[in-house]
Amino acid sequence: MIRKTNLKIVFAHLTSRVKQTMVAILSVTFGISMYIFLNSFMNGVNGTQTELAFSTLAHIRVYNDLPEDRSNLLAGSFDQPTAINIRNARVIQYREGIRNSAKVLHTLAALPQIKAYTPQVNINVFFRNGASQVNGLLSGVEVVSEETLFKPSQYMAKGQWNDLGYRADGIVLGKGLAKKLSVKLHDKVMVATASGITRSYEIIGIIETTLANVDNAKAFIKIGAARQLLSKNAGYVTDIQVNIGDFDQARKVADKLRPLVDFKVEPWQEANGQLDAANSLRNILAVAVSFTILLVAGFGIYNIMNMTVNEKIREIAILKAMGFNGRDIIEIFLTQSVIIGMLGGVVGMALGNVISRIVNQIPFQIATLETLPIAYQAEDYIMASVFGLCTTFIAGYLPARKAANIDPVEIIRG
Amino acid sequence: MKSSTTNHLALSTQAISKYFYQPRTFQVLKEISFDVQKGEFLSLIGKSGSGKSTLLYVLSTMDTSYEGKLAINGQTLTGKSQNELAAFRNEHIGFVFQFHYLLPEFTAIDNVMLPALKLGKKTKAEIKKKALENLEILGIAEQATKPASQLSGGQQQRVAIARALINDPAVIMGDEPTGNLDSKNTKIVFDIFRQLAREHGQTIIAVTHDDDFAANCDRIIELSDGRLL
Repeated sequence: MIRKTNLKIVFAHLTSRVKQTMVAILSVTFGISMYIFLNSFMNGVNGTQTELAFSTLAHIRVYNDLPEDRSNLLAGSFDQPTAINIRNARVIQYREGIRNSAKVLHTLAALPQIKAYTPQVNINVFFRNGASQVNGLLSGVEVVSEETLFKPSQYMAKGQWNDLGYRADGIVLGKGLAKKLSVKLHDKVMVATASGITRSYEIIGIIETTLANVDNAKAFIKIGAARQLLSKNAGYVTDIQVNIGDFDQARKVADKLRPLVDFKVEPWQEANGQLDAANSLRNILAVAVSFTILLVAGFGIYNIMNMTVNEKIREIAILKAMGFNGRDIIEIFLTQSVIIGMLGGVVGMALGNVISRIVNQIPFQIATLETLPIAYQAEDYIMASVFGLCTTFIAGYLPARKAANIDPVEIIRG
Repeated sequence: MKSSTTNHLALSTQAISKYFYQPRTFQVLKEISFDVQKGEFLSLIGKSGSGKSTLLYVLSTMDTSYEGKLAINGQTLTGKSQNELAAFRNEHIGFVFQFHYLLPEFTAIDNVMLPALKLGKKTKAEIKKKALENLEILGIAEQATKPASQLSGGQQQRVAIARALINDPAVIMGDEPTGNLDSKNTKIVFDIFRQLAREHGQTIIAVTHDDDFAANCDRIIELSDGRLL
């Protein structure tokens, strides 16, 4: 409990040098507002990046991988001294894709962490329009569940995504792919598979995601049409894309899923290490920069409190002579810096919010962005106030301790 | 016999010695023993460097690096902790320095009230009443609500005396209390001390250079080379 008498001295100090107090408050305000702004901006960028990445990428992908290394098929079948010689070993994949997907989908539906999933039949094909021929990926999708995962309808440049559900002969082409093939809406495009089957589809939509690997080389058809193209049964899928509640938990959920499913379960971090790394690096950068700013603000308070202590050194001596003890003196100066810290912190949070809002209005028309991205998160504000108070506490404590250790005799005698 | 006299003693020292170690070891106080009766107005005189100020700060309990024994108001203070001494000073010792050392942001009355508020034994209203009375005695009641920084030197010194008196201390200690004042204000301050000792039974110990000031005290203690003369 702070004594009223000490508090009175605190206010006398704070109000006697308004300008100095203001500078100290401003240094905290600056630190806190920059902390808020930088973290909001960085989170905004991370959020956009993630949103963009997950517009085509699922949190977990289940697929039939190539079998493991089997270059020595007879290993373990014979005793050690036996000489084995296999020439021209070849992998024969007996089982392509996931033949009976119903069982896997059933397992997925039972897991509470899994929010949505969609089966796909992905085929490497040639797209042809007359003489122009482009290599690309044809994705057979379930129109409704694909929409829940990736929201392709948002990226439709022309046509309606839902129309794909009604047209077994319909195809949605990436914008770049359509350009390469010189085709437009309602034109026909030929698709040729590796096994030599060719079919013609009508273009019912053009999609533009701004991701080059999608726009320039991907097309969508109905999943049934894709099965038909490959002459597979109704349960056949090549990939199952799975979304969970929190994408940071993908590794955990994948570990849980693995023993339940006979196929390869791949969380997004494994396939896209660069995304994960970029996110982490940006977070580290934001923390480093904001801590530096808080440190500078801390030095600002330290400096001004030190000056105050030096200025008031005779008053401190006389207070000690009159019977104020070391604790009182620490209380007086620490309270002063904590008040500065709190005022600066509150103003800083408001200013940080205002700066964030202004930056959020700056036009930035790249990819799907229209303005610079900002994330408004309560945690940033909580962290800013916690760190801000800690900094002012430490920055105020050191000069306060110095004041408490003053020998009054030395000061009064001169 | 001895115990009955102790009760009348405001302050007593036994064989107080003190050394300075910088730049080389030097004994500044040499076995000083004396008693001060309650209500005595005493001045400490001596040439520059005789150790009179050093002695005063030992008596004030702010300087604790000495040998010997110090007692004020019958309480032995030697060997107590800094915080205990601070609390003791707050209640039992009043200070008047050469430079008044008021808190410039506070009004005169706030300065006077400060030690009593710190002591916390009376309500704020009682303290305020007492502070006004003190200012009245010192003849500056009309300056009570002025900031200390706007008062003249003599007025500030009188506020400092009013502050020293606020907790009814056993002893008032002055380090050249008139050293910074002109002759008119010196007379005013001296008369106040005189009056406090005579009419209110206040014990006063003052270090001074002023021979006239000393000559009119009840008792003079003179120091020379760290010894009592």
